[in-house]
Amino acid sequence: MADERLGEALAALDNSVGEPSRFHEPFLRMLPLTGAAVSTIGPLLGSETIAASDSVALRIDELQIDLGEGPCWDAMATSRPILEPDIRDNPRTNWPAFSAAVMDQPVGSLFAFPLIVGNLKIGAVDLYSSERADLNPTQIHNATAMASAVSRHVLRRALHEIGGEYENSGTTYSRRIVHQATGMLIAQLRVPSDDAALILQGQAFATDRTMMDVAQAVVDRRITFVHGSEGIEVERG
Amino acid sequence: MDEFTRQEKLLNTFSTLADTLVADYDVIELLQTLVDSCHELLGAAEAGILLADSSGNLDVMASTSEASRLVETMQLGAEAGPGIESFTTGKIVAVPDIEDVPEAWSQFRDSALDLGFRSVHAFPLRLREKTIGTLNLLRQTTGDLQAQDAAAAKAFADVATIGILHERTMRELDTLADQLQTALNRRIAIEQAKGFIAHTRGIAVEDAFSIIRQYSRNNNIPLSQVAARIVDFTLELD
Repeated sequence: MADERLGEALAALDNSVGEPSRFHEPFLRMLPLTGAAVSTIGPLLGSETIAASDSVALRIDELQIDLGEGPCWDAMATSRPILEPDIRDNPRTNWPAFSAAVMDQPVGSLFAFPLIVGNLKIGAVDLYSSERADLNPTQIHNATAMASAVSRHVLRRALHEIGGEYENSGTTYSRRIVHQATGMLIAQLRVPSDDAALILQGQAFATDRTMMDVAQAVVDRRITFVHGSEGIEVERG
Repeated sequence: MDEFTRQEKLLNTFSTLADTLVADYDVIELLQTLVDSCHELLGAAEAGILLADSSGNLDVMASTSEASRLVETMQLGAEAGPGIESFTTGKIVAVPDIEDVPEAWSQFRDSALDLGFRSVHAFPLRLREKTIGTLNLLRQTTGDLQAQDAAAAKAFADVATIGILHERTMRELDTLADQLQTALNRRIAIEQAKGFIAHTRGIAVEDAFSIIRQYSRNNNIPLSQVAARIVDFTLELD
């Protein structure tokens, strides 16, 4: 019976080709979990969520992208699923910043599966359950198979775009505004791009906001970064 | 060499070959290990591996001796002889008596006999439908290979094939990784440049993009290059 559901879910994935914002759906068809998000991560395809079932799933991924740590990153690094069936009360791993932040979310269990093609590590899928839940070996196997299929779809799209004309449209949850804000900081502070990105990230941490929020404030000209007498300062208005 | 020693050495050879597939390894070294093992364990006086290049011509990639006459013999076999026959058909080609080959292979025959070889066996380097080369065993006696030697040679050929295809795949993936990374860095640079110009000119990000694109077209410089230079301060748009 599990194989039928995998087969149906794989078929559904094929039918959703061209709509990456739906790449999370097959997982939820197959598994009794609350929500899912699919993200590209790292230097090959960039760090960005491409599909999310709800705001909690989106937030879980956004936290990990902002913080640079969490089950998604570990899944990619180890090429293995990271399973946290009881992440609130009995976590298997303690991520210094992520573990605390995820407590603010209605998440009882969290499972991350890497997106890998060959030796190309391109991202991860986050699956969460609001109540505590376990995945049995068959479900883990099926989720792994689905992640493989999604990986190939994601990579195929990315390959299509290589060498193509620059397109002014992005994915649904595009983080291009973070890069635009970084560009503004580069101009404001006359620092290298890596430094500007770190400064933006630092401001997000310091004010307990997401990088997207801070980036939006920069692009809206609500805040500006300047060199002050005691280091880098943020001016409002 | 007694049977036990031979078995042990065979196992060691396969173990070594398996190791090389896991870590970063040198495919040429792999092929050399194989031909040397054919010589040491299978009674081949000499052995060579031929691989097809992109035009489908077979070249000697590894051999038990660099002696030019040996290489030449194998090359002749790769043009008209057991090598090309095995490659084209994807089958094992057994020549228990080199004196007995078709006239079309006469150049190969004469060269091989001159060097004292009396029999030759060619094994395809093949994975399912794809043949990428051949493994050639030359012996100084006539007759067919013993069954267990032929089986070992076929296994060597299979390992060589997997090793070569694996290395090619890894290289292709590395190239792909580079392409993806470059494409990503270009996209990021363009977004950053939009923000940069939006700030320096006090305009909206979309309008900044128009300016950058215009500059790119007017000066015939790729968009991503203009963007990269803007954000590393090596280009000031006037």
